[in-house]
Amino acid sequence: MMDTLLRLVLHRLRRDRLQIPIWILSIAGFVFLAAVGLQNTFGSLAERTVLVRLATANPAIMLLRGPPQGTDLDALLIFTVFGFLGVLAGLMNTFLAVRHLRAEEESGRASLISATPAARVFPPLSTLVYGFGVDVVLALAVAGCFLAAGQDLSGSIVAGLALGAVGIVFLGVGAVASELMASSRAANGVGVGAVLLAYLLRGLGDAFGTVSADGLSAESAWPSWLSPIGWAQQTHPFTENTLAPLILSVIVAAALMGVAGLVLVRRDSGASVLASGAGREAADPRLSGAFGLAWRLQWPSILAWSLGGALFGVFGGSLGTAIGSSDLGNGPIADELSGLTGGTGSLTEAFVSVVFTIVGVIAAGSAIQSVVRLRQEEALGTGHLLLATPLSRLGWLVSYLAVGVMAVVLVLASGAAAAVVSSAAVGAPELADDAVLAAVAQVPAALLFLGAVATVWALLPHLTAGLGWGALILAVFLGIFGQLIGLPDWTADLSPFTHSPQPAGADTDWTGGIVMAGIALAAGVAASVFFRRRDIAGG
Amino acid sequence: MSTVISARDLRKYYGRVHALDGLDLEVAAGDIHGFLGPNGAGKSTTIRILLGLARATSGSVSVYGRDPWTDAVPLHSRMAYVPGGVPLWPTLTGGEAIDLLCRLRGIQDPAAYVARRAHLIEAFQFDPSRKGHTYSTGNRQKVALIAALAVPAGLYLLDEPTSGLDPVMEAVFRREISAAVADGSTVVLSSHILSEVEALCDRVSIIRAGKIVETGTLADLRHLTRTDVAFAREGLSDDDLRAIPGSPDLVFDGTRAHFTADSDELVDVLPALAALRVRGLTITPPSLEELFLSHYGGEETEAAPRTRRQARVHRAK
Repeated sequence: MMDTLLRLVLHRLRRDRLQIPIWILSIAGFVFLAAVGLQNTFGSLAERTVLVRLATANPAIMLLRGPPQGTDLDALLIFTVFGFLGVLAGLMNTFLAVRHLRAEEESGRASLISATPAARVFPPLSTLVYGFGVDVVLALAVAGCFLAAGQDLSGSIVAGLALGAVGIVFLGVGAVASELMASSRAANGVGVGAVLLAYLLRGLGDAFGTVSADGLSAESAWPSWLSPIGWAQQTHPFTENTLAPLILSVIVAAALMGVAGLVLVRRDSGASVLASGAGREAADPRLSGAFGLAWRLQWPSILAWSLGGALFGVFGGSLGTAIGSSDLGNGPIADELSGLTGGTGSLTEAFVSVVFTIVGVIAAGSAIQSVVRLRQEEALGTGHLLLATPLSRLGWLVSYLAVGVMAVVLVLASGAAAAVVSSAAVGAPELADDAVLAAVAQVPAALLFLGAVATVWALLPHLTAGLGWGALILAVFLGIFGQLIGLPDWTADLSPFTHSPQPAGADTDWTGGIVMAGIALAAGVAASVFFRRRDIAGG
Repeated sequence: MSTVISARDLRKYYGRVHALDGLDLEVAAGDIHGFLGPNGAGKSTTIRILLGLARATSGSVSVYGRDPWTDAVPLHSRMAYVPGGVPLWPTLTGGEAIDLLCRLRGIQDPAAYVARRAHLIEAFQFDPSRKGHTYSTGNRQKVALIAALAVPAGLYLLDEPTSGLDPVMEAVFRREISAAVADGSTVVLSSHILSEVEALCDRVSIIRAGKIVETGTLADLRHLTRTDVAFAREGLSDDDLRAIPGSPDLVFDGTRAHFTADSDELVDVLPALAALRVRGLTITPPSLEELFLSHYGGEETEAAPRTRRQARVHRAK
C-alpha cells in the first residue's frame, strides 16, 4: 500500500520536475530580490515613513498590497509583497491539483492507472500528499530567502508557514474544483477565480480597514478574514508573529479535501458533479471563418486581460493626483518615477506613464497569447482541418494577428477608460488626457511583440510559447526592474518598453513608437512569408 | 477517364528518415482508390502532400492538374479531408465544428446543406450539442465525416476515416461514400482495414516503406496470389491425386487435401476434380489479407531507415 502511494508520488514529482522547481524558485527569488531592492531604495526611516503614509492615505494601495504594519523594513517588505506571494502560492497549488486530478481523468490516463492495483483512491490521495510536500518545500524556501536577505528567524518562519498554509488551502480548492468540473480547463478557471476572489476579499478588507492615528499602520476590516490570503497576512510576520489565523487555513484545507474525498468515493471515474453542459447544435452566423473561430476561442481570455488592464487603470487614475501633490514632490518615490521615465514631464505624467507601462505589458501578453493559440491549433491538429479547406495560410495567420491587435487595443482601451472614470471619481478629471496619451503610447511595443512572436512561430513553431513568454519576461525585467537593481543602461535599451513614447502633452516624441510599429509590420509580413514556405507541424 | 491525382517519384525526407521514398500514384476520376499499408508506411504523409500541408522533398505531384503546394486554396474548394483520430476544439460543440468546417469549405446551397447535414446527423446517430472535449474517438470521427459529406466534394481524401466507428456506423459510412461516388466523386481511402477496402474500392495501391509495391484492380491483385482448393481425401489414391494438374504443392490437413492453383489454371483443374468425383470441395479465392501479408510477411526492408533510431543504427554501420 505504502509502496503504491510512494510510487505514485514519485511519478508526480517526475512529471513536475521542471514546473514545480521553477514556481518555487521564482517565488523564493522574488522574495529575495524584493528584500534586497527595498533595502536599497527605502533605506532611511524618513523615506519609509513617506511611503507608508502614502499607502494608508490611499485605500487603492492597500487594496493592491495589504495592511501596513509600521515603518520597519521587514514590515514594509511584508506589506509590499505578501499579497502577491499569496496569489502565486495559490495559483501554483490549484494548477498542481487540477493537473494531476481532473486533467488526468479527462485525458483517460487516470483510467489506465486506476485499472492497476492503485485503484481509484490512491492516485488522488498521492496528489494531495505530493502537493502537501511541495507546500512544505515552498514554506522552507520562502523562510530561507527572508533569512538570507537578513531578516530575523522567527518572522521568516512565520512568513514561510503562512505562505505554505495559503498553498494547502488552494490545494484543497483545486481538488474540489476537479471534482466539480468535467474539464481541466473549467477546473482551472474555478481555481484561478477562487485565488482572485481571495485576493479581492482581503483587498476590500484592507482598503476599508482602520488606519492608526499616526498613519503608519492599518487594521483590516472583516472581509480580509474571509480570505486564505488574508489569514496569511493576519499572521503579521516580523511584527506580531501570531500563528493563530493559520488554524483557520488548516481547518478549511482539511474540510475542502474531505469534501473532495467524499465526492470522489461516490462517483464514477471520469464523472463530475457538474456535467459539461450541452451547447448549440448549430453554429452562430459569426462562427463562419478563421477570424470568427480565433475570436470565439480567445474572447474569454481577452476579457480577463482587459479586466487586468482596467484594474491598473483604476490605480493610475485614482492615485495620479495624490502622487503629484507637493508633499511627495521631492521624496524617494519622485526620484524613482523620474528615473523610470527619463525625467521629463510632471510627476503625475510620470506616474501615469509607469502605470500604463504595466498595462502595456498586459497588452503585450494578450498579443503573445493569440500567437500561442495559433501554435496550439497547429500542434493539436485542428489547424490541419482548417487548412484542408479553401482557407489560405495567409488568411489563417492574419485572423490570429487581427485578434491579437484587437486584444492589444481592448486591453489598453479598458485601462484608459478605467483611468478616465476613476480620475473623474476622485475629482481630478484633468488626468484623463494623460491617461489616454499614455495608453496610446503603449500600442507599438505590444504590436512589436505580436509581430516578433508570429515570426518565431513561422520559423520555429515549437519554440513559440517558450520564446514568446520568455521574451516578455526578459523585456519586463530589463525595462522596468533592471535599473532598480542597478543593471547598466544599455540593457534597458534592449526592452521594447523602454522605447515607448513618453507622454508629455503636445511635445510627446513619437519616434520610438513609429519605429516599433514599422518593425511590427515588417515582422508580420516576414511571418506570413516564412509560414508559406514550411510544412504544417504536428497532427 | 481523366486523372485526378498523379504522383511521380515522390520523396519526403525528414532528416535521414525517408517517409516517402519514390512513390508513384495514379487515381482516375470516379474511382474509389484504396491506399493500403501498415502504420508508418507513408499513407498520411502522402495525403498531407496531396493537401499541400507538407511539401515533397523531390518528385512531382498534381491534383486536378495543379500543384497542391502552390494552388492549395483553389484545389481545396473541390476537396474534403477526413483525418484518422479527429482533433476538436474543446469548447466548441460538435454541431458548431461541423458548421464552421462546412462554411470554410463553401456552402453553395444553404437549404440543401441544412437538409444534408440533418440527414447525416440522423444516419450517423450523432449528438451535435455536446462540447468537443466530451466526445469519444468514434464521435469525433463522425464530426469530420459529416463535415466532409455535408458539402459535396469532387475529391475525398480519407485517412483511416473509420477509426473508432462501430460496425453499424462503418456500414453507414460505406453507404454514404458509395452514394457520393455515384454522384461522380473520386475517393482516396487510406486504411489498414482490409474488409473496408475490399468492400468499397475499385483499385488498390499497397504502400510499404514509402513506395507503392503493388497497384491495380482487386481482380488484378488477386492474380498475384493463388486460389486455395480443398476436398476430402477419403477414397482417393496417391496416383489419383498426382493426376490433378497443378497439384505439386498438395498437402494433407487431417482428412482433407489442399493445393493452390493460379486463377487461370482453375478451369483445367475443375474437370479433373469432377472426374475423381471429389467430395466436400471448397475453392477459396485469395483474400486481400493474404495479399497484404505476402507483402508484409516478416522480412525487413534494408532500403531506407524507417525511424530515427534505425537511421542512427544505419549511420553507425
